[in-house]
Amino acid sequence: MSFEQIVLEVLKTLTLEFILLIAAATFIGLIIGALPGLTTTMGIALLTGITFKFSGHAAIALLLGLYVGGVSGGSLSAVMIGIPGTAANAASVLDGFPLAMAGKGAKAITVSRSASIMGTLFGILCLAFFTPILSDLALKFTSAEFFLIGLFGVLISGTMTGADLPMKGWISGFVGLTIALIGIDELTAYHRFTFDSPQLTSGLPFIPIMIGFFGIPQVIESLSSEQDVLVAKLDRAKTKLSEILQHWKVALRSGLIGVGIGVIPGIGEDVAAWVSYGVAKKASKHPEEYGKGSIEGLVAAETADNSCIGGAIIPLLSLGIPGSPPAAVLLGAFLIHGVRPGPMLSFEFPAFVYQAVSWLLVATLFMRFMALWLARPMQKILTIKNAVLMPIVTVLCAIGAYSLDIRYIDIVLVFFAGILGILFRKGKYPPAPLVLGIVLGPLVDVNLRRALKASNGDISIFFTRPIALVLVVSIIVLILAQLGVFEAITSKFRRMRQSTI
Amino acid sequence: MDESTRRLRTLDFFMGTVFAAIGFYVAIEGYNIFVAPELVTVERMTNPGVTTIFIGALLALLGLVMAIIGFIGSRTPFRNAKQAIPETLRKPAFLKGIIAMAGIAVYFFVLWGRIPYVISTFIFLAGMMFIFKAGAWWKIFIISGITVAIVWYVFGELAMVPLP
Repeated sequence: MSFEQIVLEVLKTLTLEFILLIAAATFIGLIIGALPGLTTTMGIALLTGITFKFSGHAAIALLLGLYVGGVSGGSLSAVMIGIPGTAANAASVLDGFPLAMAGKGAKAITVSRSASIMGTLFGILCLAFFTPILSDLALKFTSAEFFLIGLFGVLISGTMTGADLPMKGWISGFVGLTIALIGIDELTAYHRFTFDSPQLTSGLPFIPIMIGFFGIPQVIESLSSEQDVLVAKLDRAKTKLSEILQHWKVALRSGLIGVGIGVIPGIGEDVAAWVSYGVAKKASKHPEEYGKGSIEGLVAAETADNSCIGGAIIPLLSLGIPGSPPAAVLLGAFLIHGVRPGPMLSFEFPAFVYQAVSWLLVATLFMRFMALWLARPMQKILTIKNAVLMPIVTVLCAIGAYSLDIRYIDIVLVFFAGILGILFRKGKYPPAPLVLGIVLGPLVDVNLRRALKASNGDISIFFTRPIALVLVVSIIVLILAQLGVFEAITSKFRRMRQSTI
Repeated sequence: MDESTRRLRTLDFFMGTVFAAIGFYVAIEGYNIFVAPELVTVERMTNPGVTTIFIGALLALLGLVMAIIGFIGSRTPFRNAKQAIPETLRKPAFLKGIIAMAGIAVYFFVLWGRIPYVISTFIFLAGMMFIFKAGAWWKIFIISGITVAIVWYVFGELAMVPLP
């Protein structure tokens, strides 16, 4: 497709209708992100129900706008009430809230908004540049590589997001893969774990599971522990652009970290923000200021979590593998709207990557204006009691799941996914690998068998191809590292050296 | 080891056991699929039992390891559980959680579909807000009414979802 054709295709989806839709989605995203308890992942899952009647491209534009708004919106509550709206903004609380409590609320919001914009733009730039390259590379992948990428994604997601033990992340991922087994087998049409129920033949629907898994535990947790909210007052001081731009090195490094972590399957914005914050603190000339209202710390956290958006969409569009939990829900929405991300996307919809880039840019533009404009009304909104908000969230969970297929069974599913989510929270099992497991389940399932068929059952197909070999080695290293094998070897060598001396 | 970690490991023991049991069930079911008579014409390598056994066995293995970690960490998981359960049941937060869950269950399983959506949602919203003391009764009525109207308009009218 020529450059002119791409531009024409992009312009076709940048009509006033699209722009207004993205603006509305960014606005809703900012509010959803800002309200503690409503996550971006949940917001995308809930709104997918409404987009059902929209055209595919309009629905996806809307959901991408919500993604951008959601991640950015979380910083509003992080700064103003010291409670992150989404997990992605948890690191922003450390410096944003002390700044606001010191009477520099407007400055904190301006800095976090500017860092969000820098991060999002950096992520979009990487998305536009790397997606076509990765898509071309992915065309060389066979079933063996796709199977191993899926497995690697679940394992690395489990390793990186497991707050207690990495083993819990892996279990979470394999529970997701198990859930994905339910339904008719793609290759043989065999009914697997359907228990003769016609409602299970097409498998468990992803969106209702996500709504229940993320929404219900949050409702229960918020209603069980009503907390008084302390809202910081906003001053009217202006912040000079130069004050923010002097931290360009931190922003650039954090942008790279965000994109890098975003590309890794299933990890997401929260990890990106914490890693970036930690790196920035280590590299800083004033680490003692971190946690007490450091502008640098706020820039590091906010740039990374926003640049992660672009990073997470790169593997989604090029490989069909989401880089973060919101991207995983986006994948579900893409499929509902007839867009199948992966290497073939550039053939089916040649301009899609650039259309997505343009929608993300429009959302970033609106986010720039809306974030500060929303800050003052948000002071009121953030004082809404959980006892008011959470029953409304429950109603949205039910209607959001029901509206997808107009099936009562989806509401039942929301309830049971909610119980699973509560158990996972209590046991400190990370949710991201489960999401990724459900999404990557079909890819792992089908490609393992296709690879074995292509090699007549010879498992050397997983070791003899260069990319497959790299992935196998990565998986083995990942597992051995988590089992402490390398630490044991290192300490043994150290002891041997000491005894020799 | 502090008390909270010991309790977490106790939970790990029980959850690990459940995951191991699920994994074993999936793996056994995978074997049954592998030898299912209706799949005799299907090539062995494309049999859906292959992945089912693979995933089930790995989940069982991980669950088993988790249970062992939990057992070692908690030392006496059954005694710990016997001690922790009554304590948890007495906590106000737990009670609130149970009430919230019960409210949701009533809305999903009793009210939904049996009475018109607008009425069931209003009852649920007002009821939950009353129970969790959201504010004065007239405020609760207004908020519940407005929410129901907005949800009905957005989903029922704009998105054309046939509400029950």
